[in-house]
Amino acid sequence: MNNLSIKNKLYIGFGSIVAIILLLLILAYNNFSRLTEANGWDKHTMEVLIELDRVQNASLQIQVDARGFILTGNESYIASERDNAELLKQHIAKLVQLTADNSQQNDRLKRAQTLLATWADVNIHRQFEKRRALGDTKGAADILGQSSELKEAAAVVSAARDLLEQAGDEERRLLSERSAKAIELHSSQNNLMIGGGIAVVVLSVLIAYALARAILNPLSNLTTGLTRLGSGEQSARIEVTSGDELGKVSEDFNKMAMQLQAATKRELDLTNELRDKVDSLMEVVSRGAAGDLTAKITVSGEDAIGKLGEGLQRMFDNLRSLLTNVQKAGIQVTTSATEIAASAKQQEATGVEQAQTSVEVLSTTKEISSNTSQLLKTMEDATAVADYTTSATSEAQGNLRRMDQTMQNMVNATDSINAKLAALSEKASNINSVLTTITKVADQTNILSLNAAIEAEKAGEAGRGFSVVATEIRRLADHTSVSTWDIEQMLKEMQSAVSASVMGMDKFSEEIRRSVGEVRQVTDQLSGVMDQVQKLAPQFDAVLQGMQAQAVGAQQITETMMQLNDATQQTVESLKATSEAVHQLQYAAGDLQSSVSTFAVNA
Amino acid sequence: MKVLVFHIGADRYGLPLRQVRRVLPLLELKGIPLAPDSVAGLMNLHGEPVPVIDLSRIGGGAPARQHFDTRIVVADYTAPGGEVHALGLMAEGVQGVQELAQQELAPSGVQAAPFLGQVAGDARGMVQLVEVDALLPEELRARLFPAEAAAQ
Repeated sequence: MNNLSIKNKLYIGFGSIVAIILLLLILAYNNFSRLTEANGWDKHTMEVLIELDRVQNASLQIQVDARGFILTGNESYIASERDNAELLKQHIAKLVQLTADNSQQNDRLKRAQTLLATWADVNIHRQFEKRRALGDTKGAADILGQSSELKEAAAVVSAARDLLEQAGDEERRLLSERSAKAIELHSSQNNLMIGGGIAVVVLSVLIAYALARAILNPLSNLTTGLTRLGSGEQSARIEVTSGDELGKVSEDFNKMAMQLQAATKRELDLTNELRDKVDSLMEVVSRGAAGDLTAKITVSGEDAIGKLGEGLQRMFDNLRSLLTNVQKAGIQVTTSATEIAASAKQQEATGVEQAQTSVEVLSTTKEISSNTSQLLKTMEDATAVADYTTSATSEAQGNLRRMDQTMQNMVNATDSINAKLAALSEKASNINSVLTTITKVADQTNILSLNAAIEAEKAGEAGRGFSVVATEIRRLADHTSVSTWDIEQMLKEMQSAVSASVMGMDKFSEEIRRSVGEVRQVTDQLSGVMDQVQKLAPQFDAVLQGMQAQAVGAQQITETMMQLNDATQQTVESLKATSEAVHQLQYAAGDLQSSVSTFAVNA
Repeated sequence: MKVLVFHIGADRYGLPLRQVRRVLPLLELKGIPLAPDSVAGLMNLHGEPVPVIDLSRIGGGAPARQHFDTRIVVADYTAPGGEVHALGLMAEGVQGVQELAQQELAPSGVQAAPFLGQVAGDARGMVQLVEVDALLPEELRARLFPAEAAAQ
């Protein structure tokens, strides 16, 4: 609803009011038409009633005329009888026509019509004819009054009158019903008009209020916002409550207010930035004036302040690098001077040390000379000992050679014993094979004796003597077996003894061989020793000569050292002078450094 | 009666001499694969194959050791059908022939194996008779002499 445009809101408001009125009009029209219809029906009933009255009147008129004629016999009474009958028929015909929509009434009236027609055309005329027939006879009226024609006619007309009466009652009943319905319709019409009117008024008021609210509220907000903005409150914004034209206007107003605020803020920021830049420049320049060149200029850019900042930065950079160079140069000069002083001192100390060393070298050289002469004596003693060693060694060599010979003889003897033992072992083996043969024979003999005993047993009594022989043979065989076994055992013992001897001899000869080898080795070593000792003598001579040369060299060294000592003394003097000059240079460098260090160049 | 004395383990047993054909030294025997343990092998007796059973094994001990006095005794085995077969018996410790008086023999009183018979005592202990005909159980006999088994 809020997002509708004002035009649409108006259309909807007025459109709804018109629709309600139209609805009301349609209802009213409908009611009016129904009322009209009811009135028509009332009128119709009234017509029917009038016609009924006219029929009654006409019939009464005919009856009155007929009575007049019957009483008097005067034809003038019935002069208009035809016209009245015609009138009666016309009215009843009209009545039948009017009640065509109501079949009950119609039937009733048709019957009445028939009755009345019969009465008017037949019964009445019969009375007339009878009266005419009577003429002027006395008591004609009474005769006629007693006649059947009169009674018949009266019955017919009274039946017709009853029917008419009934129709009249029915019509009156319908009339009362219809008028009640008409009254009801009338009151509902009244209610509709009053209720509808009230509803229309209330709805119109509500719609008008809603419209006014939808249009006037945003307008009042807009007005308030404009007033606030106008009074300088830049943060003033309007609450956008609807999507219509006023809502759009409010949004545009908000945008405008925002841009206005942003523009003001930007301007303020620019001013602040400019002030900050100038302040930082001022601070850097004032620190520079106080000697602190470490401050960095942070201002840059294309504007005048930026250019100014960059120029100042360049100037400070140049100044800083210049001062840095000067400081560095000062430090370098100081360092160099200190180094020179130190090295001069070191040289001086070295000179002094050199002089002392020269003195020490002199005394050492003298010691070397005296040691050399002592060594000479010792060497002569050693030569004598070497000679003695040589002769003793050659003697030992001779003894060892003799020992070697003896050993060789022993080895040979052992070998011959070994050969004899082997021959013995072979003989024992031969005996063993013979014994095996004997054992086999004994075994065979044993079996033979057994079989002989069996055969003898089988021969029975004849074999008795043979059996004894077999037993003897078996015993002999058993003896042989036992003896052979004894011999075998002895032989085995002998063989094992021989084997043990052979092994012992082998071990013995092996030991002898090893001893011979050792003796030979000792002999060789002794020969080596002798050779070495014989070589010693000429080496000792060479050592002696070297030592004499050394003594001469020591003397020469002593003289050279004396000269070196003098030279060192002179060097020390000159170094002292240098040291003095360097000290002065050091002082000057220190002054330079302290004056430059008042400038701070490094952060 | 005279018996051939041999050993099973430490005990002495006697084979009746009338059932012994002859005594042979321990020969090379042909092995019989898949034969029962108590069968020592097959020997050639003058061209005729003769089965040899081990008496030590059949007596429930270890196989006979091959000593100098271990022999093969060829005995007459009378089958239940009455046929006589040569049967080699490998016996350990064959000592010789011994005379046993009939009155010395007495029932052993213990029936451990079907082939063990009467016992007789002497100065060195007791000798028990071995019945050659009862040596082979039925199953072994059927294996060793199949022709006879087939005849039955």
